[in-house]
Amino acid sequence: MKRPVNLIVNGPWPYWVGAIVLAFLNVLVFIVNKTPWGVTRNLEAWAEWLGLKLGLPVTNFYTLSDLLSAYGTYTNLGVIFGAFLATLAASQARFRPIRSKKFFYSALIGGFLMGYGARIASGCNVGGMLNGIASGSLTGWVFAIFILLGTWIGSKILLKYLI
Amino acid sequence: MIHNNLSSQRKHSLGFVVFLGLLLILIAQLDFSLSITLGLGLAIGFTLQKSRFCFVSAFRDPILTGMTELSRAVIILLALSIIGFALVEWWFRAQQIFFKPYVFPLGVHTLVGGSLFGIGMVIAGGCVTGVLMRIGEGFAMQMVAFIGLLLGAFTGKQTQYIWKNFFGEWNSVFLPDFLGWFPTLALELALLFFLWKMLKWWQVRQLNK
Amino acid sequence: MRYTIEIWGEMCPIPLIKTQKKLKNMQIGDVLVLETEHSCTSRGIVVWAQQNKYEIVETEIANGIWHLELTKTHD
Repeated sequence: MKRPVNLIVNGPWPYWVGAIVLAFLNVLVFIVNKTPWGVTRNLEAWAEWLGLKLGLPVTNFYTLSDLLSAYGTYTNLGVIFGAFLATLAASQARFRPIRSKKFFYSALIGGFLMGYGARIASGCNVGGMLNGIASGSLTGWVFAIFILLGTWIGSKILLKYLI
Repeated sequence: MIHNNLSSQRKHSLGFVVFLGLLLILIAQLDFSLSITLGLGLAIGFTLQKSRFCFVSAFRDPILTGMTELSRAVIILLALSIIGFALVEWWFRAQQIFFKPYVFPLGVHTLVGGSLFGIGMVIAGGCVTGVLMRIGEGFAMQMVAFIGLLLGAFTGKQTQYIWKNFFGEWNSVFLPDFLGWFPTLALELALLFFLWKMLKWWQVRQLNK
Repeated sequence: MRYTIEIWGEMCPIPLIKTQKKLKNMQIGDVLVLETEHSCTSRGIVVWAQQNKYEIVETEIANGIWHLELTKTHD
């Protein structure tokens, strides 16, 4: 009854399968772009572009065509659309609203801390840790250790305020 | 596991595939490599969602629930990426193709940034990649987190120089330059293997508690 | 006995922490019923239960809503 195609489309795949496929795609992105896959550098560019439009002081003056010809825009858009396709293909798509006010605030504050931290350290989990380490940079390892420290603090906050 | 589709969304999914195909063709007219990049991004998003991959879980679950399945999957991802990148860099050098790896300066901003990032991703329910993926899944919470992300990234960019000027930074360290290619790879893979073993031990210990 | 706990709309890993807590106060043979619309949460609980050798049945009762029945088979 269950054909292999259904297994692939419906999932869920084991975690290690995801890891192997992601590693393969990660290396392919490096080959195509000549620079590794990163996420936040591009979000920062969009944030600066929006800031410029709103009349805030910015460091880089990006134009829309700069952003539309940046590789990062397409990987980020791809991740959103790809995840949407994955949910839709398995007939699991639905809008999932926030059920409690505390999660609204935790998401906003968490997002802000994440964006700020990623941009002063020049990278997120993907660009800073995964591909920092894969590129052979010492910074990637140090960054990973401090993410672990931050996660430990974050876990304390979660247990105290969000549960 | 039982799987019963109450109402199929297959029609919508086919429509979306057509839309994506047209988008890929449109972008290929402008720049072929951008189109390939979008295709790879789609594959990454699809894989992340299908395998329920989550970097936050990899860091957080050993601390909070004692599960290390995803942490060990991230270690596999790291090990394979290290090997893959080494091969690709070797090939780029041999072909004299210009490339730009992510080797950044180390400084107090790395330490502070890493810690803030860690706190943020736990309470926002997803790291930056996870937030993007969950927007695709339709989570309103991560859409809010995305607004926070843009605000944070903007503030971070405008204040990064303060951290750098006040504390300074060390030159970026490219490990193969210091240790040589082979010892670096051997050391990194040995370290990851040790971590993998330790995480396995940790999970067995936590489950028996 | 059948128990149920409210995890609707909560983010990872709160449902799993609540499940672990609840399970401590349950007898062998009791069933815990959970419902979530979060794919990662459902997957996380299933993997945890399998590693712990508890019996678990995952059913998708509507588009993107998972119904979990966890039987405590041992201490």
